[in-house]
Amino acid sequence: MGLELTVDGERWRRHLVEATRARPGIVPVAKGNGYGFGLGRLARRCAWLAERAADTGSALDLMAVGTYPEVSQVVDRFAGDVMVLTPWRPSGATGADPEPHGRRVIHTVSRPTDLEDLTTREPGARFVLEQLTSMRRHGMTRHELIEVARVIEDRKLPGLCGIAVHLPLNVSSHLAEVRRLLNDVVATGLRTRTVFVSHLSPAELTALRSEFGDFTIRPRVGTDLWLGDRTALKATATVLDVHPLERGETFGYRGRSLPRSGHLVIVSGGTAHGIGLEAPLGDQSLRNRAATIARSGLDAVGLVRSPFAIDGKQRLFAEPPHMQASMLFVPSGGRVPDVGEDLEVRVRFTATSFDRVVVV
Amino acid sequence: MTSPRPSDRPTPLTVRPITSAEHRDFIAARPSASFLQTPAWARVKPEWRAESLGWLRDGELVGVALVLYRQLPKVKRFLAYLPEGPVIDWSDEDLAGWLEPLSRHVKQQGAFGIRIGPPVITRRWTAAQVKEGIADEGVRRLGDVAPSERSRVGASVVAQLEELGWRPQSVEGGFAAGQPQFNFVIPLVTEDGAARTEDDVLKGMNQQWRRNIKKAAKAGVVVEQGTREDLKAFHDLYVHTAGRDGFTPRGIGYFETMYDALSAEAPERISLWLARHEDDLVASTISIRVGTHAWYSYGASSTEKRDVRGSNAVQWEMIRHALASGASVYDLRGITDTLDSDDSHVGLIQFKVGTGGEAVEHVGEWDLPLNKALYAAFDLYMSRRK
Repeated sequence: MGLELTVDGERWRRHLVEATRARPGIVPVAKGNGYGFGLGRLARRCAWLAERAADTGSALDLMAVGTYPEVSQVVDRFAGDVMVLTPWRPSGATGADPEPHGRRVIHTVSRPTDLEDLTTREPGARFVLEQLTSMRRHGMTRHELIEVARVIEDRKLPGLCGIAVHLPLNVSSHLAEVRRLLNDVVATGLRTRTVFVSHLSPAELTALRSEFGDFTIRPRVGTDLWLGDRTALKATATVLDVHPLERGETFGYRGRSLPRSGHLVIVSGGTAHGIGLEAPLGDQSLRNRAATIARSGLDAVGLVRSPFAIDGKQRLFAEPPHMQASMLFVPSGGRVPDVGEDLEVRVRFTATSFDRVVVV
Repeated sequence: MTSPRPSDRPTPLTVRPITSAEHRDFIAARPSASFLQTPAWARVKPEWRAESLGWLRDGELVGVALVLYRQLPKVKRFLAYLPEGPVIDWSDEDLAGWLEPLSRHVKQQGAFGIRIGPPVITRRWTAAQVKEGIADEGVRRLGDVAPSERSRVGASVVAQLEELGWRPQSVEGGFAAGQPQFNFVIPLVTEDGAARTEDDVLKGMNQQWRRNIKKAAKAGVVVEQGTREDLKAFHDLYVHTAGRDGFTPRGIGYFETMYDALSAEAPERISLWLARHEDDLVASTISIRVGTHAWYSYGASSTEKRDVRGSNAVQWEMIRHALASGASVYDLRGITDTLDSDDSHVGLIQFKVGTGGEAVEHVGEWDLPLNKALYAAFDLYMSRRK
């Protein structure tokens, strides 16, 4: 019953070990909905990977979470340090005081004033300095890093753990940008050669490690680690009810009707799970934009393709999804599933909350 | 991007032409500068208009440059070229303060672009690291190997030039454009600045070098410093070497001009070296020194009698002389950045690496277009010439 994520445990664990081995020094990222698995499970999996350090070659002394409130969900399950990816702010950080976890937390600092502020409150605070990249979200310029380097020297701050670099997606190669950023790190005079960096392919990582062998490059990995082997993961919904539907008959919350006869199939999974709440796609290709427009067109008529598939064929929503369930339309001639049958669902794992995660 | 400057900032720098004497005296008062930035070098390159420039702060000369104006074909506009220069304080966090008045000045002189070659080191590799790199199949270029040291000043110069709109000139293969970005050098002082002994330098060399130096001495190779009259003998051997190694030799006039110009500036600036076995000239070289920096500049060797190791003998004599002159570095000049054991250039690196010492990378040559259209035309012209 419900929306379930079934994990082929053996396959998944094998992938986790391989992905970790391919990225020495990996910092697993567990944030948001925990990539569909939940933060607690991922934290336990990090602990499990840490135990296999001899096999993977990655000590795994550190994992990353997105926000301060997420820290408390992982600290009891994973014994290492926890890096918070959202930059520390004098206002925001205090809401979920990381103080109880003390020195296990590594803060991300993205403004010179925040470093002064943070270390005034907590002189021993451990932190990474976020560098401004072409993404231009958070981070400091070379001039700001020089300023920060002076603050660290003047106040003899002990907590510098490295540099954080968030690279954009969808670029052919990150190497040129990373080279420029690392040159800037050298130019600032900062006494760290540890860099936490996201979205590098194993090949890019190898190239950087060779060129910057005097640096410690630590890849932060989320999606490619947890969701890297999609064949190990299966999302399913359960058929809750099936009703025949004559042409023109009204149904649903809104009392609409359809110009064809067929069956209404009621399945588990609705807006509460993230079903039907389409996350904007990263892909901006013309083809995809055309597809979006086409879907909007369907919406106007009343039929939208759903993520639920019967025998591999994605079926249409009969009406917009409800909170816990969705109504699908199977036109006459299509196979009608039985109540209790599982249907495959295509979801974005990062935007879906499952009722149950089953590791088999 | 402009950065806020502190209110107690120093007086802005100005640039004006200076006399050769002012230029020479400024360089003489510094530990070293590239010989390509001495006023004498202007006389070695008479085909280009040259200008000595000085930076002034509160009336005091604080930097100099030799600018060579290279004319664009058919147009009376120039590339202002400052080989291995200018001679300024490259550790300054405000390089814009130095470079902007330079740009303004050369633009007034009709320059459509500037090319500089900051004499600043960015990375160093030990001889052992280079050797390992050559042996490693997976390593193709020096940059693939982590350096023994990265220079903060070097990184800062690169970062600032990028921010100020300068463009790095590609050095594909290392020798393609202008002055080499990678050099091989032997430090002649220890880290705390004390002079190394001959013995210490010799110990730093690989066994083959030491054996060859010994072999040359045993075979009776004698190395002497020559005079201007010996340039002819050097040049004959150099033309012979060019024929063997397949490069185009320069005429003897070039060397005579260089010898005369550099000697006139300082008697010790240029030296000619001749290694003889019995009555045969087996190797001959030219070395240059400015302050504490000594360069091996040109070399020639005979095809006969290679087994008496004249090349090793003459190098060793130049190194000893540099040590005795109080030089802090012996510079074997350019290497390509290839560490590919199949590359024909790797032999030259291996010869230099055998001396011990280290490979150094410089910031390289950078251009600033002053007239976008003319600079683009020049760029196209240069790319077609290659």
